[in-house]
Amino acid sequence: MTQRFRLPTGGIVDRTRPLAFTFDGVPYQGYGGDTLASALLANGVHLVGRSFKYHRPRGIFSAGTEEPNALVQLARGAHTEPNARATTLELYDGMTASSQNCWPSVRHDIGAVNNAMSRLIPAGFYYKTFMWPPTPRWWLRYEQVIRRAAGMGRAATQPDPDSYEHQYAHCDVLVIGGGTTGLAAARAAALAGARVILCEQNVDCGAAPLPAGTKIDQTPASEWIAAVASELLRHPEVTLLVRTTAFGYYDGSLVGAIERVTDHLAAPPAHGPRERLWKIRATAVVLATGAIERGIVYANNDLPGTLLASAARTYVERYAVRPGDRAVMFTNNDGAYADALALQAGGVDIAAIVDARTDAQSSGILTARARDAGMVIVSAATLIGAHGNRHVAAVDVASRAGVPAQRIDCDLVCVSGGWNPAVHLYSQARGKLRYDEVLASFVPESSPLPIIPAGAANGCLGLSEALAEGHAAGIAAARQAGRIAALLAPPRADPLATAPLQPLWAVPAARKSARRFVDLQNDVTVNDIALAAREGYQAVEHLKRYTTLGMGTDQGKTSNIIGLALLAEQLGVPIPRVGTTTFRPPYTPVTLGAFPGHESGAHVAPTRYSAMHAWHVEHGARFVNAGLWKRPHSYPRAGESEDDAVNREARSVRTTVGVVDVSTLGKIELQGRDVAELLNRLYINRWDTLAIGRCRYGVMLRDDGMVMDDGTTSRLSDTHYLMTTTTVNAVKVMQHLEYLLQTQWPELDVYATSVTEQWAAMALSGPKARDVLAGLVDIELSNAAFPFLAVGTCNVRAASDDPAGAIPARLFRMSYSGELAYEIHVPCHRGLAMWEAVLAAGEAFGIMPYGTEAMGTLRIEKGHVVIGPEADGRTTADDLGMGKLVNAGKWCIGKPLLDRSALTAADRWQLVGLTALGDAPIPRGAKIVADPERKAPNPMLGHVTSWCWSPNVDAWIALALLANGRARHGDTLWAVSPLAGAKVRVQVGPPCFIDPDGERLRV
Amino acid sequence: MSDDGTLRPFGAFDSAAPGHYGVSPGAVTLAEIPISVAWNVQGDPLHPAFLAEAKRRFGLALPLVPNTTARGPAWKALWLGPKSWLLMAGDETVIVPPAGFDAQRDALNAAGGALFDLSASRVAFMVKGLRAAAVLAKNCPLDFHPRAFLAGNCAQSLLGHINALIERPDATPTFVVMVPRSFAQDGWRQLCRSSAQYGYDVVVPVSMS
Repeated sequence: MTQRFRLPTGGIVDRTRPLAFTFDGVPYQGYGGDTLASALLANGVHLVGRSFKYHRPRGIFSAGTEEPNALVQLARGAHTEPNARATTLELYDGMTASSQNCWPSVRHDIGAVNNAMSRLIPAGFYYKTFMWPPTPRWWLRYEQVIRRAAGMGRAATQPDPDSYEHQYAHCDVLVIGGGTTGLAAARAAALAGARVILCEQNVDCGAAPLPAGTKIDQTPASEWIAAVASELLRHPEVTLLVRTTAFGYYDGSLVGAIERVTDHLAAPPAHGPRERLWKIRATAVVLATGAIERGIVYANNDLPGTLLASAARTYVERYAVRPGDRAVMFTNNDGAYADALALQAGGVDIAAIVDARTDAQSSGILTARARDAGMVIVSAATLIGAHGNRHVAAVDVASRAGVPAQRIDCDLVCVSGGWNPAVHLYSQARGKLRYDEVLASFVPESSPLPIIPAGAANGCLGLSEALAEGHAAGIAAARQAGRIAALLAPPRADPLATAPLQPLWAVPAARKSARRFVDLQNDVTVNDIALAAREGYQAVEHLKRYTTLGMGTDQGKTSNIIGLALLAEQLGVPIPRVGTTTFRPPYTPVTLGAFPGHESGAHVAPTRYSAMHAWHVEHGARFVNAGLWKRPHSYPRAGESEDDAVNREARSVRTTVGVVDVSTLGKIELQGRDVAELLNRLYINRWDTLAIGRCRYGVMLRDDGMVMDDGTTSRLSDTHYLMTTTTVNAVKVMQHLEYLLQTQWPELDVYATSVTEQWAAMALSGPKARDVLAGLVDIELSNAAFPFLAVGTCNVRAASDDPAGAIPARLFRMSYSGELAYEIHVPCHRGLAMWEAVLAAGEAFGIMPYGTEAMGTLRIEKGHVVIGPEADGRTTADDLGMGKLVNAGKWCIGKPLLDRSALTAADRWQLVGLTALGDAPIPRGAKIVADPERKAPNPMLGHVTSWCWSPNVDAWIALALLANGRARHGDTLWAVSPLAGAKVRVQVGPPCFIDPDGERLRV
Repeated sequence: MSDDGTLRPFGAFDSAAPGHYGVSPGAVTLAEIPISVAWNVQGDPLHPAFLAEAKRRFGLALPLVPNTTARGPAWKALWLGPKSWLLMAGDETVIVPPAGFDAQRDALNAAGGALFDLSASRVAFMVKGLRAAAVLAKNCPLDFHPRAFLAGNCAQSLLGHINALIERPDATPTFVVMVPRSFAQDGWRQLCRSSAQYGYDVVVPVSMS
């Protein structure tokens, strides 16, 4: 069977480009330019899926994004995409699609048993049925079964193989919709000198059908459309985006749009994204999104072979496909007459036009043309039901006067119940809607934002009026951006006299059991709406949740207005009183991958690397994430475990020498006459006594008195200081400083800048540190010349083959490890050279690089606190054993609140050291108790904050916060972890296990 | 770029090897621009002594209009904030002796201002060519249209999720994107990834004048 329903001529399809595709495993052929839906119809395939709840056979219903039925599963290489709309999928060679929600096949679907039982499963049935027994446990079980029975397609299980990207864009005027209205608007705005972006969701502009013979500015409409589109395409200040759906209007006139870049290609190119998410900021938006046709509800209105009238015509005119051989039109407006004429021209036999209006009500020019073309028009009549098995075979037509129904054989029913302006984005832009009695639909009324609706989106269905509106909207939008148009005539078309619509939502059913579908996608019937109203779900939002009306991938584009009109009928109130549900973005579904764009997988956050990172990688470092930084955790040698490596590294610092990359520490430079005053206010200790060439440790508090951060500050010149912060608080402390300097103390003469990125930093620690450095630097390092806490600058001898020569460095004699140690800062681009120079000079002394784990071991051995574990936001300086640092003679942030009674109570948790008695490790996160066997509640005396195996003490040691801890030195307590099932006897002592007098620092 | 995070000194990357990448022919040129000197000068523009000292030191009037730059015979200044500028060598081939830093700092401190050496803090990339603005627009919410981002403008914004200082040195479609050194790999990767669909050439580090 090869395209039996394809017309020999016409349409946009390229008959020289046949495309092979399969649907449900059956091979078919279509042409370039087809959608999957048009290609299926060309092959006579209407049945494409089973409905959501009752598993009724369903066919292609529309020709656009509003499609409720024709959702298919698309398989393509590693990816599978559920719920793809066949009506918008551009066919490519080799497309493989299948129907959803049916088993074993779309023709023979076991789930169709639901249809027979439909009286047992009305709207909300599961809320009623599955609420017993009344425990959540049972509902969870029921839910699994219900989800399997319903459901829409299958999600992919493999990682998304495609790439996506974002694109920001700015313009004066954004025109959404490239129909005739949008083209007129874009052209006018561009001629006024505005920067214009035009988004069109189809592959081309002006895709909506116009009455045959329509002329714009005296040229055939199609030629006018092509000319304007080409003019816009060439215009340097116009961006014309096709295959791009504007899906949401967000705060600040930000419009989200999704461009489908490669979905239409059989072999997507190697570079570039599958989809591009546009974030468009426009001074003004012209909304030319058109209108969406709605149906009329009657019994069995869901049989395949039932199409919206304009869609049937689109298949004939745009895709050169006959959607059937013999059609019955059912309408309440003039539009279907133009459609009937087009269908007839395409070779479809029009069996009858059933018009709900009387002759007098349907006296437009199109009616006359249809009559002239010999069509049978049945006025004041309704279609009361359709018959057929998996496809429509006949319809029953009854006049309203109660005459017996007349059966008409047909294989196509084309329905038109009127048009709903696509006001979705207008509503998202806080636009108010008004119910228009003539259109029997909601139209834009007013919006506080610069969004101008035009054409069919504004309820203006006539071409000549829509062109004028679009033109005026383009000029008005450009004016909002300060672009004034020269006098310019709007494009003109001959007005078409049409007769108004007579609202008709649903035709009463002949039999009570007849199924009349309002929402095809969610299987919501007229009876479901009545039931919801009876049961008290009278607000339109409640109706939606209770019946699922307007949910799903189509969001009720063809059904919402009918549903709320029927609810109004049930409640006996006017339609505007019922109102609409909220129009939320997205207008059409957007692939989730488009939202992260490039920021997925390993790149969900950026990564920061120190200047020495390459060396760490080459030398087998294991890395740990420290904020965004990658820091070496340890450097295991071949065959060595990480634990062994950490112990080896920690031991080398105590016995010989080690070097660690500390580039990640926050570094802030301060200059000005008042830096010492600022430091006095920030830190608990005193700073106006710090001499040039010296550094000092400081602790800063939060306003509430708790420790916020610690670090050293060095005085580099009379007015120039360098503050270091912890790695985690680098940004926070900088923000804190800027806040204080700009808002609290603007009178201080202090300027600050972050220099974390400027300086690569390393700490050289161990008894041999001076010996290593002495061979490298051009300054005297003796205790007299460069004592503990000295700061200076020097030049470091780089490798002899380094063309950049000596490395200028800042040298600090400070120690975190508790050993003789120097911190060396060099400009970041010399960091690696410095690191390599230190390692080369240290080789003779057995130098080892060490990572953050060994650094942690060394600081636990010395009882140095870390922001987080010990300074956990609940500890004061005194709790951490640094109460003496608080200078009594000056004020600082947090100090006034230190005197609160709770902060000076005797049972404060204070920092102590713990040594395990025995070989068992102190469990991580352990609580400290007096008696591990005591039944709960077992009073908690404190908790372990940091722990490690100390290769230097040769024991498991820990730091802990312990109630009244300083008075408990010598006590034996228990560290217990119910989670780990561990309990370890520990001895309490001072929080320092090595060199308590600090002699090693000063050697 | 390899994802193992290999970073060489001067911010040169494996994938920064000169050559053509992505589709052909290319519409974008990428290069690293060496920064020889970048000093952050801070001070209050309401203090004439500070402005005068800066002018005497650097031979240019610091730009006071937000997001603009100024050029002198040896230096150019980029506006960073109401009290903050970035001074860079106007021509990168002229190496300003860094030894002069301490004296300059002391003079500015004495005039009530401040001078910080940030020469190694940032890595600069040149994005040039017909699609240069499109490449930036994939990563940065600013408007790079020639009407909005003029030659001689600079702005601080984002490149993906990285802080970036972006400068447009002249009217050709050329932008200089400066990112913090530790983030340079991600920044470069982001530029390459966004350029591949247009095709791009990586050229050896060039100096911008």
